[in-house]
Amino acid sequence: MRERLGGSMRWVSALFALWTVIAAAGSAAAQGKAIRIGEINSYSGLATVYTFPYREGIHMAVKEINDAGGVLGRPLEFIFRDDKLKPDEAVKAARELVGQEKVDFLAGCISSGVGLAISAYAKEAKTLYFATHCQTSRLTWDEGHRYVAHTTNNVNQYIRALAKKAAATPYKKWAHISPDYEYGHNVWDEFIAYLKQLKPDVQVVQQNWPKLGETDHSSYITALLQSGAEGMLSVVWGAQEIAFVKQARPFGLFEKIHLVSASVGNPDELDPLGKEAPVGALTPGFAWYDEGMQKRHPKLAEWVKKYEVRTKKEPTLGASWGYASTYLIAEAIKRAKSADTEKVIAVLGEGYEMEFPWGKVIMRGCDQQAIPPQWTGVVKMNAQGKPVLADIEETHGRDLIKSCDEVAKLRAAAAEKKK
Amino acid sequence: MDLVTQLFPWITNGPLITVQVMSGLSVGMFLFLVSVGMSLIFGVTRIVNLAHGSFYMVGAYLMVTLVEILPERPWAFWVALLVAPLGVAVLGGVIEVGLLRRIYRRDPLMQLILTFGLILVISTLVLLAWGPDNKSVSRPEALAGSVSIAGQPFPSYYLLVLGLAPVVAVVLWLIFYRTRWGMLIRAATVDREMLGALGVNVSLLYTQVFVFGSWLAGFGGALAAPTIAVALGMDGDVLTTAFVVVVIGGLGSFAGTFIGALLVGLLQSFGILVFPAVSIVLLFAIMAIVLIVRPWGLLGRPEA
Amino acid sequence: MLSPRSLVVLLVALAAAPLALPPFFLQLLTEIAIIGLFATAFNLLMGYGGMLSFGHAAYFALGAYAAALLVRKAGVPMLLALPVAPVVAAVGALVFGVFIVRLSHTYFAMLSLAFGQIVYTVIFKWKSFTGGDDGLLDVWPPPYLKSPAAYYYFALIVVGLALWALHAVVDSPFGYALKAVRENPRRARFIGVNVRRHQLVAFVISGAFSGLAGGLFAFYNGSVFPDFAYFTKSFEPLVVALLGGVQSFGGPLVGAFAFKVLEWLISRQWPVYWPLFLGSVVILVIVVLPQGFVGLLGRRPWARPVGSS
Repeated sequence: MRERLGGSMRWVSALFALWTVIAAAGSAAAQGKAIRIGEINSYSGLATVYTFPYREGIHMAVKEINDAGGVLGRPLEFIFRDDKLKPDEAVKAARELVGQEKVDFLAGCISSGVGLAISAYAKEAKTLYFATHCQTSRLTWDEGHRYVAHTTNNVNQYIRALAKKAAATPYKKWAHISPDYEYGHNVWDEFIAYLKQLKPDVQVVQQNWPKLGETDHSSYITALLQSGAEGMLSVVWGAQEIAFVKQARPFGLFEKIHLVSASVGNPDELDPLGKEAPVGALTPGFAWYDEGMQKRHPKLAEWVKKYEVRTKKEPTLGASWGYASTYLIAEAIKRAKSADTEKVIAVLGEGYEMEFPWGKVIMRGCDQQAIPPQWTGVVKMNAQGKPVLADIEETHGRDLIKSCDEVAKLRAAAAEKKK
Repeated sequence: MDLVTQLFPWITNGPLITVQVMSGLSVGMFLFLVSVGMSLIFGVTRIVNLAHGSFYMVGAYLMVTLVEILPERPWAFWVALLVAPLGVAVLGGVIEVGLLRRIYRRDPLMQLILTFGLILVISTLVLLAWGPDNKSVSRPEALAGSVSIAGQPFPSYYLLVLGLAPVVAVVLWLIFYRTRWGMLIRAATVDREMLGALGVNVSLLYTQVFVFGSWLAGFGGALAAPTIAVALGMDGDVLTTAFVVVVIGGLGSFAGTFIGALLVGLLQSFGILVFPAVSIVLLFAIMAIVLIVRPWGLLGRPEA
Repeated sequence: MLSPRSLVVLLVALAAAPLALPPFFLQLLTEIAIIGLFATAFNLLMGYGGMLSFGHAAYFALGAYAAALLVRKAGVPMLLALPVAPVVAAVGALVFGVFIVRLSHTYFAMLSLAFGQIVYTVIFKWKSFTGGDDGLLDVWPPPYLKSPAAYYYFALIVVGLALWALHAVVDSPFGYALKAVRENPRRARFIGVNVRRHQLVAFVISGAFSGLAGGLFAFYNGSVFPDFAYFTKSFEPLVVALLGGVQSFGGPLVGAFAFKVLEWLISRQWPVYWPLFLGSVVILVIVVLPQGFVGLLGRRPWARPVGSS
């Protein structure tokens, strides 16, 4: 068979030429004077419901910082790449950002797998990586190392806050429904461990592990109805939780079993649920609209207003994370008086604190993990018939999170397993 | 008997089994409505329409928009339910005439790959048109609550589905076996060239079937919308399940799809009670077994 | 193959690349080479064998995981672990292929998809062994092969040898018999060709080289994840081969280059639009391609699309 490469060869040569020109231009294009952060996240597909507001938070913080003179007199610049929710794409993007764009730091992630993959690359490439939106505790603990820092909440803290509230309820028999993947297991394990610690007579009567993205939960719902549970934890999130709640309500599930959810308080779930929202459910959430919250944090209303003016939308928890992450990174560089990786790691190792419109965030030195305030609330309908979080209770992660010693033990155990 | 009750403690729980069976049946009915369009299109045109999930998704999103813009009256839901699939039918028609027709003479596998391209295009267009946020449609007032079955609450909305699906199945059967159009369709599946030689506009026929199949997909999506979240990614979820259903039942046979859907629905319902650890792989394993042992499915036609 | 002169020019350009190109572009070229191998192996089945597999990512993943597991769990050095990748993938392809090749066309594709998803689910759920959706991390080449230029040369050599082997297969009596089977299985059977055996052998060879690509990719990436086996990954070699042209041996390689470059250019600027672009390109290539699948088989273009192979 004759090879017919002639035509395509010409086309390919053109592409190759274009490519080399860009490559040459790219490497010649100066780093300029900006401090550049390479941010890798999921900017196409279904994660965008979280990452778009998150990115707005980053933009807002970057503008504020640069308007105030930048970091060490240099403008802060974020360069974004899409990981398509795939860890290998994220690694590829990381390579490009570090090797080609010569960014000073890496940031970003929403999927835990992606976060872990970037972290492994960062360790190899000796580049400092600030994990942002993903939540797994493994990032800074089991798989932690000096080239990774976590600028937002991790599962351990906010689930312990939730478990603490759950322990205050009278329920002894618990069931759960969690998606069968790393995050789902992580959350359930943390929840039940802490709950049992606080309330040793707690019993697990049923476990349900639908696959991630399951659309029909009716068999789980009927199973739950028969379980004899008094309280239940729902770890399913996003579209899956919306589906679960909508399906469960007519079965009368939430009248029978008290719902505790890891994420139903977030607007991406509450708003679409509308009048079908599970009133009375106990859940964490960023209730910036709550009167009590705004009284405790006088600067919050102003921040929200600024965000709304910028984006014409209400802020989400993710938006606050994007905002906080940017400032935390900038602060580390400021304190190091340099954008040099080793100097910034040294600053992280010492730890520091920052005040935000929603409270104090501590960057802990022993594991380079951020410790923010924690809020839990109850779902209620407001006067306009819209579901919101009310009865907000605020604690702080520092009262809940595993201690540095416990973290050291975790890391040692994980290292043992790898041998 | 003791061993059985020990392994499956729920087996003596009458009300639980009843409700599980009813759930399984309604899930199955949903699956039927969602999958029958795919089966139909394959049966006639030999194309596996991978974009079927995307049509389902568009149907659900159109439902959301229609419910939003129509006034809040009891009839609004039903009007939306009828109109939303029409939008999808139009989309299907445009795709068929504009793209698929040009490659009918090619290998059906090329057409299959083209429908894969459509998945990517449609999902991005949906994101651009409706934005990334999750959406939701509420059940109509009349069907928002539950009825009591064997002492257990059972959602009224599912009764609608349980009732609607067999009606749809019967209507489809009537269309294909009792109308002239249906006869032409069946003839086209057997010998397209001959039919063309006899003066029938086969291209038009294929377009009509594709449009009809798309309508069914959109209807499935619109009907399912009140029970799930209308969000990006729903195209993929439904596609794999519909695929399994039509393979098990037999591509091209809607009685087969009906049975396949029931089986899968019941399997999913009881699967988590009996084999919780492997239920996710079970479906694909069964699909594989069916393809190995009887590729044309339970009621499909064996091919050369 | 290409004319000897163009081939020499190409080889010289590739060998000299590390002198001219920054490290990231070497890595991109490495990735292109690996995906090119995967797509060429895939095309052995599709272009030469006339069989469309929708679950080929399974063999890619089997290769990747085999190599990664050996390195992580048994401390085997990369140079010994990598050759195991194609072997494991070949075994997988043999086990599944026995069932898959008994079917044709659409059913072939669907069963291959089902097996692919089963492999994915097993990798995903068998957390204690495969790491589940956490994947296996720290799968790096030995220090002397770790730099972008070094791994680039290594991958180039391995891929080059693999392509040479694949080309030998295609150009051999087996290869010609395979093409005959694709053109008209019945006629091939009449002249004494064991159709099923040829298809199965082609399937196993294709799977083996896909596994080799997977193994190379594991060390390139530094980690392996279950989504290496997901069906969306199976579409990558398909699109790449289509783009470059399934009619020729070098087509998939050209397609790999075009695909990866386009992906890089577009995804960095407009990530939201990349799926739209990709889907449109696939549709365009199919609709505009002068000779579709059937055309490759040399049949009358208006032949009945199904039932006769």
